[in-house]
Amino acid sequence: MAESSQSKSGGKKRSRSESEGDPDADADAASLQSIQLENDLNFTDTAIALQMMKAQFPKLDKVVVRPFILRSQLYSSVKDRTQVDRDLESLKKEAVVRVFKLNTGKDDHAIMFMDDYLAQMENAVKRYDAKDKQLSDVFDWFKQYVIKSKTDVSISHPELCSLLSNGGDVTEKHVTLLINAGLLTCQLIDQNLYWFVIPNIGSILKGLSQGRKELLSLINRTKYKEMVLANLEKKRLRLSPLDIRFHIRDLIGSGLLKTVQSPIGLLIRLSRD
Amino acid sequence: MLEETEDEYLNRCAAAAQDFVDFLDEEDVDDDEYFHRLMVYHKPGGSDQTRTRPVPFPDPTQTVDEPRGVVRVGFITGQVRHEAQRRAGQASPTEQHFVWSRVGFVFRLVCSSRLRRGGREELYMWTWKALNQREDGSLRPSAFRRGVVSSRASSLQLSNAKEFISLHRGAINSLEIDSTEGEGRYLLSAASDGTVAVFDTHRPTSSSSSSSTSIAQHHPLFHLPRAHKFAISRALWYPVDTGLFITASFDHYVKLWDTNSTQVVLDYKLPAKVYGIAMSSIATSHSLIATATADVQVRLCDLASGAFAHTLSGHRDGVMSLEWSSSTEFVLITGGCDGAIRFWDIRRPGTFLLLDQSLSQLGTRPPLLPTPTPSNNESTSLPASSKSSSSTPILPAQKRRSHKKIQLKPPTQSSHPGMASSQNRATAHYGAVNGLRATADGFYLLSSGSDSRLRLWDIESGRNTLVNYEAMSIQTSKPIQLAVTPDSSLVFVPCLASLKAYDLWSGTTINTYRGHYESVNCCFFNAQDQELYTGSNDRQILVWSPSIPAATQIEEADSKGGITSIDQDNWSD
Repeated sequence: MAESSQSKSGGKKRSRSESEGDPDADADAASLQSIQLENDLNFTDTAIALQMMKAQFPKLDKVVVRPFILRSQLYSSVKDRTQVDRDLESLKKEAVVRVFKLNTGKDDHAIMFMDDYLAQMENAVKRYDAKDKQLSDVFDWFKQYVIKSKTDVSISHPELCSLLSNGGDVTEKHVTLLINAGLLTCQLIDQNLYWFVIPNIGSILKGLSQGRKELLSLINRTKYKEMVLANLEKKRLRLSPLDIRFHIRDLIGSGLLKTVQSPIGLLIRLSRD
Repeated sequence: MLEETEDEYLNRCAAAAQDFVDFLDEEDVDDDEYFHRLMVYHKPGGSDQTRTRPVPFPDPTQTVDEPRGVVRVGFITGQVRHEAQRRAGQASPTEQHFVWSRVGFVFRLVCSSRLRRGGREELYMWTWKALNQREDGSLRPSAFRRGVVSSRASSLQLSNAKEFISLHRGAINSLEIDSTEGEGRYLLSAASDGTVAVFDTHRPTSSSSSSSTSIAQHHPLFHLPRAHKFAISRALWYPVDTGLFITASFDHYVKLWDTNSTQVVLDYKLPAKVYGIAMSSIATSHSLIATATADVQVRLCDLASGAFAHTLSGHRDGVMSLEWSSSTEFVLITGGCDGAIRFWDIRRPGTFLLLDQSLSQLGTRPPLLPTPTPSNNESTSLPASSKSSSSTPILPAQKRRSHKKIQLKPPTQSSHPGMASSQNRATAHYGAVNGLRATADGFYLLSSGSDSRLRLWDIESGRNTLVNYEAMSIQTSKPIQLAVTPDSSLVFVPCLASLKAYDLWSGTTINTYRGHYESVNCCFFNAQDQELYTGSNDRQILVWSPSIPAATQIEEADSKGGITSIDQDNWSD
């Protein structure tokens, strides 16, 4: 009990100094900021974890992206991974969230709430002015028929055409328009299959992979390949617009870092295998 | 009365599979069970005739609360408690050693010991409560055995009593113990330098004796230096007996060998390098070897005729792993480099089931109207998820989708129940499927992929159970061999240089076995002795056996003669 109150007061102290010297401090409630990651690392329920992590998503200045959560972050927050998978599956079926496979090269999945995704899609469509106004009906068809019924991460070409044709006649130009707007991507291995993507996410993905590398090298450079979590949280990453908590959660969940309890607090250690 | 030493006597009894006779008179011989060296034996003519080897006892972490005798029980509960503590990591092994030395061993029977039987050393732990339950019949022998087996299987450590001397000069790619009834004894290993070796796991050929422990060494019974020109990817025993074995290699050949003469009896030439072979162990009407090659077709080679029986086509890329179903003799499961897992009934052409990782067990029900889609999925429901409300909205979408799919099929292609899925691009993994293992009851299938995922599939419905096996990293270039315990509780997965044991149903890591210097390729769980054999790129075969407490040192001191002095305490050495 004494330990937790001590850390809480320490957290408050840190938050004050952090908010002073931090130009793009979150507009989040100050209470969220003061909760250290150490106290906030574990949740009991997937849905609660998703909500909390969405609230803690960092504000980015250059790009406007609605909050998304990586699957590995969920794994690090909730104890039972199988339960996470199953909860996620039922949330997907209820169309509360949507899962996307990211093309960072590793097996990453991003989870986004459905209303966030629809808002993101609206922004993307608005920004992309179609040359041919008749073709832009395809965006409505996409939203109405494809997104609602297909909850997977990918879709095949014949199926896409058949679902879109519920709205009207579909030609190849419509599909090209969808790809150009950034809502679909061709799979590399198979030309007939498309991934669903979050539009305008490219720069963040680059930041994600670079930030991961930077964080891993940061811990690798220490003498014993470990660091106290409280100290690690204070650092800022140069190459990634996402904050360090995002990356820590992600790396713990994918198994590259592990947490160790110690008398000082929680340590983050590079996992060897 | 006997001129041979006790150890020789034990060896002789073991070789003849006879019961041991207790040397010391114990007052417990009133029952038909008697104790010797902390093991329960049955006198010949006793109630349980089937048991001719000592019975190991279940998990000593069970609390013992009903002591009966004074000295023995006090000692035993102390020992059990210490063992329990040691397993919980609280007491060090040396503390336990002190407990042992403290009691003094007036009675040899109250110490846990090693039993040598033909070179194999076992250790049995003992629980007083389970013994009572066995005596009064409230614990059935099968439940007893299950408890012991599962506790032994989850306490594996690098064996310090047994080792295999491998003469291979290349990475070991395949390990297999023969599946003859009641005795899995011979270990067949195949390596990347084209060599094959067979080891006897029961009898050591020699033993290296050092001061405190002696390790039984097993040299190969025979070692074929030039079995194939290139690397051997898989070697299998003939399922019926050990008279034949089959090897498959990257030099495009599958060869059938006679074990006694170590000569090739039959060989099959395949069009591409062979990644894996499988023979069904329950087959009575056919003797087909299924071969997985870099070619897209799966070929079935017939042993009886020496020719190819037929080919199964449907994969888009090479086939890396295959497995016969453990419940039906006609169903073959193949996993390809394209990430698809297909089920084939060899009596009909075509795949009848394709596993899709995005289809999970959540809320599935068979469609209301019969659709011509061949893959009719049975309904199963997860015990954990109770969201049955989500099932109804899925149903119309599924029906509509399947309906649309039928419209898009080109009309020239005739569709019949077998030819489901040449158009189906569903993948089970994002990379190649490099390991397949079905559980012994035939209900579930485990598949490992080069996307470093292990997935558990429910075979009857063909759905992903979404059990998440914690972070692992699986090598991508070679097929690997998974192992599952026969009671379907643990799965052993080679992950780069270590081997991880996961709980099958929840996906938690039970243990990580680190001992190899390079990537582990194959592992085999010997269900008879609860030992695990692993082979890796560092050319070694390691044995992992149930862990032995530190009490064995007492045994050595004791056998040198005399009763050890009782005047010792916790601090004496």
